[in-house]
Amino acid sequence: MMPRGIAVINTLRVFRWPLAVLLSLAVSVLFLVLTIKQGLGQSFLQNGDWHTSESTGSAEAGVIDRAVVAIGGLLASTREDSMYYTLRSVAGEPLRLNCRYHIKGNDYDADWWSITAYGWDHYLIPNGEKRYSFNNENLTRGEDGRWVIRVGTQEEDGDWLPVGPSGAPVANKSTGYDFDLLLRLYTPGDAYLQQPESAPLPVVTLESCS
Amino acid sequence: MNGLRWTAAILLCGWLGQYPLATLVPHLIMERLYHKVVERAGYNQLNLTLRSDETSRWVVRPSPDLLYASCMYNLEQGPVMISAPVPERYWSMQFYQMNTDNFAGINNQREQRLRTGTQVEVTLLGPDADPAEYPGEVIQSPTTRGVMLLRASDIGDDSQAQAALKNSRCTAQKQTVPS
Repeated sequence: MMPRGIAVINTLRVFRWPLAVLLSLAVSVLFLVLTIKQGLGQSFLQNGDWHTSESTGSAEAGVIDRAVVAIGGLLASTREDSMYYTLRSVAGEPLRLNCRYHIKGNDYDADWWSITAYGWDHYLIPNGEKRYSFNNENLTRGEDGRWVIRVGTQEEDGDWLPVGPSGAPVANKSTGYDFDLLLRLYTPGDAYLQQPESAPLPVVTLESCS
Repeated sequence: MNGLRWTAAILLCGWLGQYPLATLVPHLIMERLYHKVVERAGYNQLNLTLRSDETSRWVVRPSPDLLYASCMYNLEQGPVMISAPVPERYWSMQFYQMNTDNFAGINNQREQRLRTGTQVEVTLLGPDADPAEYPGEVIQSPTTRGVMLLRASDIGDDSQAQAALKNSRCTAQKQTVPS
């Protein structure tokens, strides 16, 4: 009669290939989740703290870029129609609800542009003001055309972009940041089409954290 | 040693396997969106989404500065006609195949500024149709199914943009595929 230990080893040998396939699949899923989470940092172009991709929406987009955009920016247009710059951290520190930020800028070479705050769940952030964005027409500008948007949970004077908890349950949160900012440039000019990594963009600064 | 070889092989296969898996992600997400909207509005019908807020969760990252209208098209039974008045402010008509590629689009900006105030009439054809057989503005979809998305600026007085989207149409030229 075969000893029990040898029988177990023989059984494992029989199933080693199916087991290896299943493990490979599980490892693939794990690698994919990690890659997609780092998507913006890995394969997107960086311009200051903003990230963008030249191939968003186009047939030239790589498989990972396309997956990242499908999850966080489905139905994005190609850059000839609109360019998207995302900001999830300032100087390496993820955007947090316990911090206050300001965005300073001027005008940009596009037919129109907007800055929108989204929760970590990729949807608009619930807030009493029902204010989710500012665009090139509704900002308060100084005499030189420059503007400042203040971003935080507490109401502030001037152009205040409210942020707060996302609409999805906190238990589903798997991101390091609490919210992000999306700059949309519609029909952008050559500076953005030719040199997206150095074209002028608004500057986001961390003011303080509680 | 044998165990190490197995582990290395599994890690290598796992790393390589993420790429074919990643190709499935856009298809799965588009299919989910497609079926969700078809359940509500049907194939080859215009579905209006006027003004986005925190309750707008049919697609990620809606812009609060835009009004939207979408058409989940199915070209199995023939072409789809899309008719849309073009307002003064920003407006675009974008076409997406089921892998999320934005394969065609028109707008009323820059060199296409002359479209403003006109009525755009587009015949959307399936991959096997011959564009030469159709008059007027023709767009050929690389896939039988896909999404057409109208965007119109919601900045300032949006009455013209709202009217433009409400008066837009997406209609099967022949029999509509039953949903």
